Amino acid sequence: MKMKRQLSSVVAAAFLSILAWSCNQSDPAPKGDYVQGVFVMNEGNFLQNNGGISYFTREQSTAEAEIFADANGSALGGGVQDYTAFEGTGIILIDNSAAGMDKVQFVNSNTFKTEGSIGAPDIENPREVVIANKKAYVTCWGTNPAYTFSTGYVAVIDLSTKKVIKKIDIAKGPENLIYSNGKIFVGTTTFSTGKTLTVISTTNDEVAKSIPLNGTVTPIGIDANGKLWVSAGISALKMSPDSYAVEATLPIGTDASKIPTNFTLSADLKSIFFVLTWYDASFAAHGNTYKFAITDSQVNVNTPFIKRNFTGLAVDPTQGLLYAGVTPSLAQAGYAVRYRADGSLVDSVKVGVSPTGFFFK
Amino acid sequence: MVALALPASSAHAQSDTIDLAPAIVKGFVPEKFMSGLKIQRIDSATLIQYRFQNISELLALYTPIAFKNYGPGQLNTASFRGTSANHTAVLWNGLNINAPTLGQTDFSTIPVAGFDQLSVQYGSAASVVGTDAVGGSILLGSNAPAPGLHVSAGAHYERFNNYQGQVGARYGSVINEKWSWSGKTNAYDGRLNNDFPYAERRGYALLPSQSGQRGLVQDLFFQSKDDQEISAHVWLTRNRLVLTPEDLAGRELTLTEAYRTMLRYRIRTFTVRTAWVRDIIDYAKGDFSQPDHATTDRFSNRIEKDFNLGLTPGLANIHFKAGGEWIYYRTRVAGYDRPAITENRADLFLLTRWQASPRLVVSLNLRQAFITGYDPPFTPSLGAEYQLVQKENYRLSLKGSYARSYRAPTLNERHWKDLGNPDVRPENGWNKEAGIEYKYKPFANHSFNSSVTVYHNRVKDWTYWNPAMSYHVENLQQVLARGVEVQAGYQYHSAILGAGINGGYAFNKSSQERAYDAYSSDIIGKQLAFVPLQSGNVNAFVSYKSVRLTGQVLAVDKRYTTFDNSQYLDGYMLVNILAESTIKVQKVALRFQGQVFNVGNAFYLNVRNNAMPGRSFALSLTFSYDSQ
Repeated sequence: MKMKRQLSSVVAAAFLSILAWSCNQSDPAPKGDYVQGVFVMNEGNFLQNNGGISYFTREQSTAEAEIFADANGSALGGGVQDYTAFEGTGIILIDNSAAGMDKVQFVNSNTFKTEGSIGAPDIENPREVVIANKKAYVTCWGTNPAYTFSTGYVAVIDLSTKKVIKKIDIAKGPENLIYSNGKIFVGTTTFSTGKTLTVISTTNDEVAKSIPLNGTVTPIGIDANGKLWVSAGISALKMSPDSYAVEATLPIGTDASKIPTNFTLSADLKSIFFVLTWYDASFAAHGNTYKFAITDSQVNVNTPFIKRNFTGLAVDPTQGLLYAGVTPSLAQAGYAVRYRADGSLVDSVKVGVSPTGFFFK
Repeated sequence: MVALALPASSAHAQSDTIDLAPAIVKGFVPEKFMSGLKIQRIDSATLIQYRFQNISELLALYTPIAFKNYGPGQLNTASFRGTSANHTAVLWNGLNINAPTLGQTDFSTIPVAGFDQLSVQYGSAASVVGTDAVGGSILLGSNAPAPGLHVSAGAHYERFNNYQGQVGARYGSVINEKWSWSGKTNAYDGRLNNDFPYAERRGYALLPSQSGQRGLVQDLFFQSKDDQEISAHVWLTRNRLVLTPEDLAGRELTLTEAYRTMLRYRIRTFTVRTAWVRDIIDYAKGDFSQPDHATTDRFSNRIEKDFNLGLTPGLANIHFKAGGEWIYYRTRVAGYDRPAITENRADLFLLTRWQASPRLVVSLNLRQAFITGYDPPFTPSLGAEYQLVQKENYRLSLKGSYARSYRAPTLNERHWKDLGNPDVRPENGWNKEAGIEYKYKPFANHSFNSSVTVYHNRVKDWTYWNPAMSYHVENLQQVLARGVEVQAGYQYHSAILGAGINGGYAFNKSSQERAYDAYSSDIIGKQLAFVPLQSGNVNAFVSYKSVRLTGQVLAVDKRYTTFDNSQYLDGYMLVNILAESTIKVQKVALRFQGQVFNVGNAFYLNVRNNAMPGRSFALSLTFSYDSQ
């Protein structure tokens, strides 16, 4: 019963937000089956190339498992590394197990009908995407022979022509990236030895600055006070997005074998969630999910926010609910589990194989 | 390749499938102790038709074995009666040739040109065959050629710029009053370029790949009039597969080589056999100059002796075969926790066949395997065949078997760095099956046959690379496979006309029974991945003199691709047509064959979620000379 009441309040909140949204719109509402809701990125099982995008509206508790196949009659043909959308165009990054078969897939973000794709050699091992100035910035590992991470770049795609107009070389496996105020901040993968935060100017698409930090760099986002947060190794750093000065260093425990991942800012941009993951002797993944405020001087890793390990974590800016990806194994469907801001469970939704990211619209 | 010289009409007689006499073949595998089990012999006409192809293409059309294929020319493993790729034993002249590292055979590396006879044995036969024979066994054998000289050369061209050539000779003569000898040499070399005229089908990409396959087969037989036989067998294979060859940084090489050698001596009922097999697998990505290298040597020695014990006069009552096998393994694999690993395995077995009455045959077989550091279970089996009706033109028989099976953990499962588990237990299972077989020959040149078999095979301590534990090897699963196989056929043949049709249907429910983590409730009771619930095939032919037209249909139900059955590949139906003819002028024969594969241009996907090619055709031409 309790669950039901909670659900109806969620439904009501969603309704209100739709109403608010409708009133703000001057354009006619876009048409399609996927106009508003939650999009889950599923990486799939690597050799099976069976990733996809699951979809559900905020008030639903069951998902459509793979909407690209439903809309187009054929699957994406790889694992989904990232998805984002802008002004009706959706961009899906697809990683295939075979060389030269990766691609950026464009879709109509409301109908999910295909709008073309870009493959090798423009796009190789794509990782993450952000959109700024009507351009998509896609981090790519490049051909990455023997996993040396020496061929990485950021591919710049002009969204009006859907062509790669520039490749900006970035060493050590470019991975997460965020956009803020004319700048793209790029980090590197934990698989490489990279310890540099790269800043790209979106006016000339050149590297504006390379900032050495102490550990693998992952940009997190811009907080309510306009500060840039990045993680470096097992610390979270608060930085000035203009001078790049490190204003605060918050160590995340002392055990380097416990890797902090899946950083995400809360809806009010005043706190940060993350997952601390480690592996036991029999290779089982363990982990807990933690939260700290942007004003905290240290991260408390003794008291988890949620006592669970997740493969994906994101906050819905509309409702403020925390969405967490659960991957029981790479050979069965995963779940999107929803939590309230106080850490209490809402529900869980079965999605595709290996859910690692969420996109909210 | 002596079979190639046979006039097509005699090959069509297919005596082994329509003969009403009980088939007891003297060979490398003691099939006669497999009472109660179903054994299917693939006839020589079919082997000739598939002379230029891989064994998986043939088996998919003539048996219910499901193949898990990664693409044309790529890794192709078998699921026999709903079991895993590790549960089909592949025997070459009685020797298990599954790669000891992987514990399985990649059927894309086994061409039909490598052997003379092919039988498929259904169900667990661990007591006779040993490890891996859980779902069934595939038996490949060499035949001693007839006297005389037979030489042949053939070429095969297939759409997509795929081709193969073969040359071979069979020879034999009398040495002296007592001894005669014969032999066979056969070499094949082929290349699949897979130059598909389309990059994708229905929005699914075709993965570019190239493979080259070559091999050499050499058999020698020395036979004496006082029932002695010495034989030597060599089979060298090399299979080089390159994925995305145009992409120099990302291309992937898999080079699979096997050197198989065997020496065998038999004097009346006593046989000694020694064999050495080396399996090599090289894998490289991008730069092929320094591949990951894996070499495994296997030295096998086997002795066996047959005895007869007559209890009732007039009946050869109990036939025994007692023997032992000792195998020494030595392996060096780049990914192992130690640079070199050696291991000893031994087997002791006692097989019996008791002709209890003219209608009843009973086999009780016992085997105990020994492995360094492991404790494989004692594997007995009991099988029986009863002739319910035994008339000259009508035969109805009942079969049944109850057998224990086991599978020794593979070298990879135990020794792979970090993920391997040295404490993994051998799997073991119990297989029960029963069948009814019917043969009816109303007129001299018409015959019908059909059979129905049901089985129930539970495998405990099923080993798998646990995807929930970063693919660490564990004994977590318990799998129950049960199903029914139905087969029916009709054949007609006269001096110049022939016709036949044979159909098979298989239903297999194979599922995980035991929970082992919080999310395994999504998996329990679900069909195993890549095991179709249903499959069926129909093969039909008509022939006039040496002209033969064959049609083949394969239907495969949808295959789930995840353990929880949340994703699947759609079912599909393939239709092939073959036409062939032989022109014979005195001692020279020219055989033509045309094939159309996937006539309906059916769309289906492989394990990688890539499209399989559409319609294609092949032409082959074989020239042969026979001195007799």
